Amino acid sequence: MGASQLGVQRGATSRHSLGMFSARSLQELPGSSLCPTSGARVPRCSLVPAASLPARPNVDEEERRQEWDFLDLKADYSRMGLPNSLWKLSPVNQHYKVSDTYPADLFVPQSATPPVIVGSSKFRSRGRFPTLSYYSKENHAAICRSSQPLSGFSARCLEDEQMLEAILRSNPRSDFMYVVDTRPKLNAIANRAAGKGYENEDNYFNIKFQFIGIENIHVMRNSQQKMLEACEQRSPSMSDFLEGLESSGWLKHIKAVLDAGIFIAKAIAEEGVSVLVHCSDGWDRTAQVCSVACVLLDPHYRTLRGFMILIEKDWISFGHKFSHRCNHLVGDPKEVSPVIDQFLECAWQIMEQFPCAFEFNARFLITIHSHVYSCQYGNFIGNNHRERRALGLRERTHSLWSYLWKNKADYMNPLYRPDHRQTQGLLRPSTAPYCFKSWRGLYNRFDQGMHPRQSVEDYLSAIQEETQQLEEQLASHQRKIAQLEQEGTVTWGAVSCDKSPTAWALGRDMGLANTPQDYAGGFVTTSPCQQKAPDGSLLLLTHDCNLSNGSDQESGFADVSCLSPLSEDSARDPDSDEAAYSAA
Amino acid sequence: MFSVKPTKPTFRSYLPPVQTDVKTTIEPPPKKVEPKLLQGEIVVNEVNFVRKCLSADSSQEGLWGKLICTNFKVSFIPTDPPSEQKSHLSHLLLGQHDIPLTCLEQVVTVNDTKGKKKVLGSNQKLKFNPTELILYCKDLRIIRFCFLEAGPEGAKKVCLAIAHYSHPADLPLLFGFEYQGRRYHDSKEQRVNDSIPRGGLRTPIFDRPSDWDREIKRTGASEWRVCSVNENYAISPSLPEHIVVPVSLADQDLKQNSIYFMNQRIPVWCWNHPNGSALVRMGSIVDPLQQRRIDQRFIPAITKSHPQRSEVIRSDLDKCLPNIQDLQCAFIKIRHICVIDPFEESEERWLSSIENTRWLEYVRAFLKHSAEMVYHLDGKNASVILQEEEDRDLNCVVSSLVQLMLDPHYRSLVGFQSLVQKEWVMAGHRFLDRCNHLKKNDKDESPLFMLFLDCVWQMMNQYPAAFEFTETYLTVLSDSMWIPLFSTFLFNSPKQRAQYLVDFAKNKAIPQGEDQLVYFPPVWDWSQQYSMADQTLFNNPMFVGKGAFGQNGEVKAFRRAKKTYSATLRGTPASLRNGQKGGEDSLARRGSWLSELKPDFSLVKDESPSERFFRDCLARPADQQSLLIPLLLPSHLALWKLYFLRWVPEACISKGGPITAYHKLSQLVDEIEILQSHLRQYKRPSPASTPLSSQRRMYFKASSPHDPPSPLDYLTSSFPFTPRGNLCRRSTYGTPISKFLNGARIWLSTETLDNDPL
Repeated sequence: MGASQLGVQRGATSRHSLGMFSARSLQELPGSSLCPTSGARVPRCSLVPAASLPARPNVDEEERRQEWDFLDLKADYSRMGLPNSLWKLSPVNQHYKVSDTYPADLFVPQSATPPVIVGSSKFRSRGRFPTLSYYSKENHAAICRSSQPLSGFSARCLEDEQMLEAILRSNPRSDFMYVVDTRPKLNAIANRAAGKGYENEDNYFNIKFQFIGIENIHVMRNSQQKMLEACEQRSPSMSDFLEGLESSGWLKHIKAVLDAGIFIAKAIAEEGVSVLVHCSDGWDRTAQVCSVACVLLDPHYRTLRGFMILIEKDWISFGHKFSHRCNHLVGDPKEVSPVIDQFLECAWQIMEQFPCAFEFNARFLITIHSHVYSCQYGNFIGNNHRERRALGLRERTHSLWSYLWKNKADYMNPLYRPDHRQTQGLLRPSTAPYCFKSWRGLYNRFDQGMHPRQSVEDYLSAIQEETQQLEEQLASHQRKIAQLEQEGTVTWGAVSCDKSPTAWALGRDMGLANTPQDYAGGFVTTSPCQQKAPDGSLLLLTHDCNLSNGSDQESGFADVSCLSPLSEDSARDPDSDEAAYSAA
Repeated sequence: MFSVKPTKPTFRSYLPPVQTDVKTTIEPPPKKVEPKLLQGEIVVNEVNFVRKCLSADSSQEGLWGKLICTNFKVSFIPTDPPSEQKSHLSHLLLGQHDIPLTCLEQVVTVNDTKGKKKVLGSNQKLKFNPTELILYCKDLRIIRFCFLEAGPEGAKKVCLAIAHYSHPADLPLLFGFEYQGRRYHDSKEQRVNDSIPRGGLRTPIFDRPSDWDREIKRTGASEWRVCSVNENYAISPSLPEHIVVPVSLADQDLKQNSIYFMNQRIPVWCWNHPNGSALVRMGSIVDPLQQRRIDQRFIPAITKSHPQRSEVIRSDLDKCLPNIQDLQCAFIKIRHICVIDPFEESEERWLSSIENTRWLEYVRAFLKHSAEMVYHLDGKNASVILQEEEDRDLNCVVSSLVQLMLDPHYRSLVGFQSLVQKEWVMAGHRFLDRCNHLKKNDKDESPLFMLFLDCVWQMMNQYPAAFEFTETYLTVLSDSMWIPLFSTFLFNSPKQRAQYLVDFAKNKAIPQGEDQLVYFPPVWDWSQQYSMADQTLFNNPMFVGKGAFGQNGEVKAFRRAKKTYSATLRGTPASLRNGQKGGEDSLARRGSWLSELKPDFSLVKDESPSERFFRDCLARPADQQSLLIPLLLPSHLALWKLYFLRWVPEACISKGGPITAYHKLSQLVDEIEILQSHLRQYKRPSPASTPLSSQRRMYFKASSPHDPPSPLDYLTSSFPFTPRGNLCRRSTYGTPISKFLNGARIWLSTETLDNDPL
């Protein structure tokens, strides 16, 4: 395969977009048991890609409905403490009338009346008015998002100005707010000629306006292609690779996204200032930047479930155009761009810097990445909620999130320590260029002999197995001792008297050593494992095959599988200790 | 015998500060600040009211105190030491603000008001009063002192003293000679009481036939013998006294033919593969006319020593690897972009600047060549001769890397140290010249040992459980090169060491027959530098955790019940492990580049036999007990951040970095060890067993739910080092041009405007 062809015309790669759906491959899909299929080729005129349509739509209806209900955005908003006295759920977009690319349920400031919202939406590209993305319970600061204002060179909109002021007022402790335009300044200025543009600081009440130069989707598309070429070289020299990587600019773009996320996260957590983020339409760079900021800000989004809900919220519900950007159907090649790839990579880069801060591992990110493109599940089909509802995706496809959740044992990071000060609160990654690596686990995942075969996860599993065995052994010894002592022969009595102080001390030590809280991160996954494959060996096998490709050494400690059914033991053990000793 | 001398400066070294009335706030409290001196260490000069800069950017942040130059180190004693909690590796002989004189790369004095700058050498004059002293260190630190409040004369004298004493005229003037002499006599009594052979050192030194014998037996090299033909360095001045040669070669043969080799470096044995092939190193042949003669003498003898009599491969390293000047040049460049260049300027073109240094390319070249040698030894069953002009530089790197890849013994701590001892110290690597301890000849300086450590780190980075030691150990080892107190890195050859140490023993009244290791110990006696508790930072939890298996017979027996599980763990079929799993991969990725990235198997056809060998090796399940082939595609090589960037504040990730994982793994392993020791006590209750605490091998101990949560805020990606106060580049005046350009970049965006879709 010529490297030069690689992904060149991602829009035009139709030659393999359907041909690969053989019956065999579908049967081997990880989730294929959920959607049995005849494997017949589906004519490509169907708007919904073939793989996601179950052949027997009615059979598992109840199950499917539960799948789709697995993640509930409203629950996440109530986790943030919403609605409250500052923010309310607005019914204004109930039928996608104000903005057809926004979700139906949106949070706006209490003081924002429907006329203000509608007025503001008329002054924003695609009607995407400022609305809440994240709210910090602790200090009332909020991340809001919108599209660019239709300001042109001098246009103003009173409602839009009122809307921003309402956002500012919903953060009672702060007397200003940031408006972040994630585009390079030049692009924003150019948009003014088309009657769009950016906010004029003079027209809005106490805003601080800030450009953060993230390049547009075309630059990103070309950059990724160049980066892939660098990764694809057959026998590159050190300089071929490094120069290829640098001239692709890919890592620089990742850094730009991360820098923007850090800016917003710091504004929220450290300054307690609300931020309004937009780019052009507010569905690409805005989605990236808001979600990166959320990952940095809130430990909840660093959990398995939280990360899924983050994608559901900032990407799917706010109308990131998955179908166009991922080229699910042959469309305009200029619409294709690796925007979500960049977000997943940002998350990976942060994981690399904080190996204990995430509940999930790199394999989780890679699996999500695969399914964003695979169309096996309905989540990423369509460009916005309205389209999805029209397609009836909830009725016709399965949800990726519940599949991932069922198999969460594969995606757990046993190094995760939710209880640790190091991993709580705001993460402050370094964005020095030294700290950005090429994600070999994703971009070179199919290269033969590319991946070091020794991985931390093997050893952590081994260690966990060892711990478990020792504890079992300990328990059996203690049972024996208790038994012997009950038998109460004279000699044994003497011996145990002799020993008892030591034994007692040991027992106490043991209790100390058994730190359930320390293990909590690693061992919580027992049950799904067993559910999936009760036999340990089988389980490990699946693990290995799933992960060794995706998660290489570079992902560091991310993918340690956690199979040990220790949690039961460790929970039980101290008790049995005590029982043994109190008997003594 | 004198005890420690009271501090007595040789001349009046400071004046009262000139402008104390202006800045009363910074006037130090009337507290005596005394340096901590080692045995035999004397203060040469000192100056008060000096400010040590603490951070790179704001020159305002600093510590006030006294700057002292002794015959061993530059020391700074803060008058008001900040009450920082003890959080990381503390050196027993050096304080937080101390720099050994041998560690100084460059001493630079600056006068800001006059805009003057001078690099100071030995015995030089300084025509201006310095306002600042910048010390560039060999361990990549940059330390800055400001003299604005100090007496100008005093400051000048200290600077000159530092410059002078960091350029010793002769080897015995290095402080180690003074220190170890004193130490020997001061600790004599203690030693008599517990006379452990060789000072209790577990690392073989290879200065005795028995060490070589043991190595021959360990590797099963029955066709090789220890030969003492070089006793008293009779034939070669740079080979050790005892060497290993083929049994079929007589001493006489060796003697006669030695003259045809550069430096009389005849072929000597390094290591034997279990299959019988041997690794041999030698110098080049001086007279090409004698090539045939040598070929007929030595090559058949080496072939004969192979059980299968298989062919001998010769590899001339001078022809295929960069030379020592290339390496030095690359190292200077990479150091420059990592620590010296202002951060903003290196940022933009980081990858290409790294590339331009060629350092990683060289690291890769050495690993690659070593892997090829492994192919011959392991894959082709052939003995290998490494040939280099002097057999004292590149051969050291390649032979030790080959052995690390092939023999798991060398991946243990003691094994690794014995490897360095065998292939570097005893093989006559010119540490004195390559380190340039005497700063006499810059041309000979070359970071070969550093390169070797970087190669080891690359392997460690790819196989995190294969080595008993950590990257902290490698970093500390590299730092030890610049502390002149240990015999390991001070000499050019075993002969030179012997000569100097005989004179030394005579001068210091050390009785004849005393073991060198006792009166001038090598660096391997880590307790000289670090407490036992700190040394646990050298232990790799994954290796230790792995070692927990099998040592304990009971555990092994017990695990039989779960055989399937364990077997899977250790021997998963390669097809599954190398990412070629059927299901997920055959998943069509609509419009995704992923479908394009699949391996192209047709390319496999035209691979060379060695490529095939590597591919097969990599396809086998990772078995850390034997062969370890590093992956060498450029994306697998990384910059060794802990070494190169530990002092760089911009690269420091607070509360993050690999150390956080190390922390958790250490706690897990510690917990296992506690449990194991409890088990042992149940099995064999012995009151005499050592208390658990002394056996614990992990730096981070398992915590209990009753412990107060420790903040661990000091865990950064630089741990156990800290950038604070260790990397103070000179601030640039005005706005750096790069800052300006950065601002401009937003305007001069590359994208065309009409490209922006919306």
